[in-house]
Amino acid sequence: MSSEHQDWLSAASDNKPLTKAQLDSLLRDTELQSTLERYHFIGATIRREARGPLSADFSAEVMAKIADEPAYQLKTDRDLLQRVKASVAAAANGRWLQPVAQGAIAAGVALMAVFGVQQYQQQPEDMLSPQPLLQTQPIAGFATPVSLSQTTVSDRFAEQEQQAMLEQQKRLQALLNAHRQQVRVMEQEQQANHKAEANTGPEQNEQQ
Amino acid sequence: MMRFSGVCSAIVLVVFSTLAQAEQAGWALFDKVQSAVKQYNFDTSFVVLKGSNVDTYRWLHGRTDGQEIEHLIPLDTSGVDILRRDALVYYLLTDRPAFVTRSDSIPELPALFFEPKENISRLYNAVAGSSSVMSGRSAQLLRLTAKDASRYNYWLWLDDETGFPLRIDTLSEQQNALERWLVTHMQISNEMPENLRSLMAAELPAPGDSVTRTAVSSSHQLTWLPQGYTQVEEPANIPQLENSLLSYWLLSDGLHQVSVFVQQAQRLPTQAYRDGATTIYVQNANQLEVTVIGPVSIETARQLAAAVH
Repeated sequence: MSSEHQDWLSAASDNKPLTKAQLDSLLRDTELQSTLERYHFIGATIRREARGPLSADFSAEVMAKIADEPAYQLKTDRDLLQRVKASVAAAANGRWLQPVAQGAIAAGVALMAVFGVQQYQQQPEDMLSPQPLLQTQPIAGFATPVSLSQTTVSDRFAEQEQQAMLEQQKRLQALLNAHRQQVRVMEQEQQANHKAEANTGPEQNEQQ
Repeated sequence: MMRFSGVCSAIVLVVFSTLAQAEQAGWALFDKVQSAVKQYNFDTSFVVLKGSNVDTYRWLHGRTDGQEIEHLIPLDTSGVDILRRDALVYYLLTDRPAFVTRSDSIPELPALFFEPKENISRLYNAVAGSSSVMSGRSAQLLRLTAKDASRYNYWLWLDDETGFPLRIDTLSEQQNALERWLVTHMQISNEMPENLRSLMAAELPAPGDSVTRTAVSSSHQLTWLPQGYTQVEEPANIPQLENSLLSYWLLSDGLHQVSVFVQQAQRLPTQAYRDGATTIYVQNANQLEVTVIGPVSIETARQLAAAVH
């Protein structure tokens, strides 16, 4: 029986966790407590620690030390507080504080304005960046679809938007191709016609 | 008093004559460029920079007594080999028979090189700029400034020695470079490049029947054209868009082409995009979606879209 106790007690002195039942028996049995204390002391000695572990009744020592401390009495000085309050109230109504207070308010407003404007100036950029009116290279590469595993509700809307944009880009690409095709097949005689027209163009304008 | 006005008129005369001379010198340089790309046997590579996008091409040109051959090869994976023999242009597709059009220049190359000078001088002033060193060669700047402010300007650098174009910047009204055409390698020789010789003899399909054209019988009208532009009569059919297209116009000022498409409205906001110097403007209003595509400013595109009724 005792060897069983010693096993888990020795483990406990090496900072192994205790079960609830073991803890209960340790709290109940003073003999076990003193055994644990001994084990800790042995461990500390082996580890060559300068001081041994706290004794089981260290709380009693602390209590005794607290009892020895002198007691201090704290008392609020109401008179002084009231005097300061009264003088501040008098000064606030007095002539000299009003301009100072107004100045403080003005400075506060100015500060607000400065910081407010700075924040306001930062905003438009953020608002513009998601949908630039003029994209320099929209045709060249298509955006790749986002991974499905990362889909959230807002992502789904973004996906729809992206889908719409992709479709738009495809349509524009088709139109761009059609335009290039038209330029290719513009036939010689048409160009010649155009040149002839163009040459007579300015004269007509002059007549008008 | 007499003396003062005399001095004034002398100054005015001098200024005008120098301006006229500068203009003449500019157009002389321009002639040099146009004849260089038509007359020389050359093998060059160039890149087209559109924003962060770069396209690379190889461009070969050969000329014998009576014949001319030109080959444009995209060095990126996407793109079509384009071959021109005299007045026929072949788009050599891998999965389909070649597509043949009639033209004495490849439309994918800068139109500046091939349009007659009279046409361009109607739209632009040419002023010679300073010299600089480009790719180890001495290059002369030629500024083509649009007479109408809404048109893009071109800055063209040409090789001092040969007159061959080295670089073209397309500039917006705010003088921002929208597109840059830049020669990265150039070799001019007396002989025709070797691989063009075999292509000269290669058997190529005959041009198909002329593209079907239908007079536009649309219920919509375009009530305004940008300065210098005219409508191209009877533009070709666009079979792939036949179902969705309500009206279509193709406009040209000789140098630039602008397409105006009218389709059913998709509930999308009015938007503008840019692909290099090409503006794509989409306007949604009155149940119609009007798309303007072409090398014009966004403001011009907006006015064009607003002129559809």
